[in-house]
Amino acid sequence: MKIEFWGQEFKANLWIGIPGAFLIAVLSSMFGFGGGPFMVPLMTVFMRLPMYVVVGSSLLAIFFNTLTGSLRHYGFGNFDLVFFLIMFPAAILGGFIGPRIAKRLSPIVVKRVAVVGLLILALSLLGVF
Amino acid sequence: MKNFWKLAIILMFTIAFSTNIYAEQQSVTSAETQKEGIVLQVDRKELSGGGKITITGKAPQGKDVYIEIWSEKNVRAARLDTDPDPKTGKRPYIFYMTDEMPAFYTLIVPEKYKDILDQAKKEGGKWSVSKVIKDAGADAVYGEPAKRKIDRYQTTLWASVIGSRGTLLPPMDEKDNKRRSMQLLKAKFRSVETIFSSKLKIAQDGTFTAELDLPSNTAPGKYFILAKVDKELKSSLVTVENKITLPNVYLSNAGRTVNLFGPFFLALVVTTFGVLMGAGGGFILNPILVLLGLPHTVVAGTVMPTVLFSQASGVYNYSKIKFINWKLGITLGLAMILGAFIGPKLTELITLAQFKFIFGWILIILAALMFWQTTPGYLEKHKKEQAILKEFKKRAEEAAKKKAEGGK
Repeated sequence: MKIEFWGQEFKANLWIGIPGAFLIAVLSSMFGFGGGPFMVPLMTVFMRLPMYVVVGSSLLAIFFNTLTGSLRHYGFGNFDLVFFLIMFPAAILGGFIGPRIAKRLSPIVVKRVAVVGLLILALSLLGVF
Repeated sequence: MKNFWKLAIILMFTIAFSTNIYAEQQSVTSAETQKEGIVLQVDRKELSGGGKITITGKAPQGKDVYIEIWSEKNVRAARLDTDPDPKTGKRPYIFYMTDEMPAFYTLIVPEKYKDILDQAKKEGGKWSVSKVIKDAGADAVYGEPAKRKIDRYQTTLWASVIGSRGTLLPPMDEKDNKRRSMQLLKAKFRSVETIFSSKLKIAQDGTFTAELDLPSNTAPGKYFILAKVDKELKSSLVTVENKITLPNVYLSNAGRTVNLFGPFFLALVVTTFGVLMGAGGGFILNPILVLLGLPHTVVAGTVMPTVLFSQASGVYNYSKIKFINWKLGITLGLAMILGAFIGPKLTELITLAQFKFIFGWILIILAALMFWQTTPGYLEKHKKEQAILKEFKKRAEEAAKKKAEGGK
């Protein structure tokens, strides 16, 4: 598929894009996490699109994913209103605080800390410890 | 429009307070008088945020007494039966689900059966509720969950693909319902010690004493206590009221009471860190909530909508500066809609163990991805890309501004 972005033309490989987006959506909605960290590499590395094309368009696709997933979870009775009302303000507040701290921290250090944290969490989920 | 908001606010308040009004209803003091031979008493009728109750009574001499305790509040329990048929070897793929499982259930067996419970604990995840009940001689007294209505659906691969639960099968007979209720008990409560207890001393003359420790995260409302010797010989029902006060709130779908500051601060810290690391908070928040014991279905279904609004505002902001290629976004979005239609159905079908296993591997992949993003090669490329991105954004913002000014 050919797409145009700010006067430039790009070729998007949908043979990779569509199955990839589908798979990411299944996992993301199944486990309730955002698909961004997987969608961006899919579109930049595998579909070979430049970052400035990807940022906005991937968010749009992920928004569709979150909307559908949320409605389906609601339909299956997996949504807990009280729990949501507790966490929603916290998520909004986190969105305000995050960018303010981000300026003072090195992104590489943050990412390396995140890698260690994610591995610890992964191993405890897998029952290693 | 104004009326709509009024209605929405009224609706919100109704939902928020309806549970409270319900909890404040006084329990009707039930009779503790002798009936059919078993006397049953409790040392306290009211609890606040759980606590210890001593149950005493008298049963006919020389008989084993069992005590069932369950909450008035119900939760959902579900299980996909994939165990091969012992005769044909075919997997049934029947999905069992009830919305009437007590949020709390315990069967206290006489102290002498402690070994049976210990044995089941040693079996790990493979222990069976029905085996414990049979070995502890409780088959005739196990009653309450068996009465709950269980729906069963014949699922197929196709049904999962279109995201349906499958065809609803006719209701089960009493015996089958009882057997399936035991499996659902295990699917919901998992461990031996939440479903069974052996803290029940029976004296020579038939008097008995049992101890019940209601955990602080248990549901508010009434708890029913019933002592039984067999199907016919039982005490009258004794009711105990458990009250919870703010900041503790009851999550009706999860079947648990939590201190609302707990999830609030956890979500705050995790989402803040999520912004910093450039991945949504769900990757960290969901596993922690699941490890804390909340049902994986409720965790996935409740965390997901929390980012809906921030994503919507992000899309709006990008669209203002024309930074979205709609053709690309909608094409991939349609593929994602299809995927998101199926995903939540799968959450329901898998067990907690499977949830943890797959999530664990997803986190390892994510960690690898993030590690790759800190390698020198990637950083150099990323720097260039970010510079181009910034340049484009600047141009886009300026263009949007100009247009706005031109429009005036």
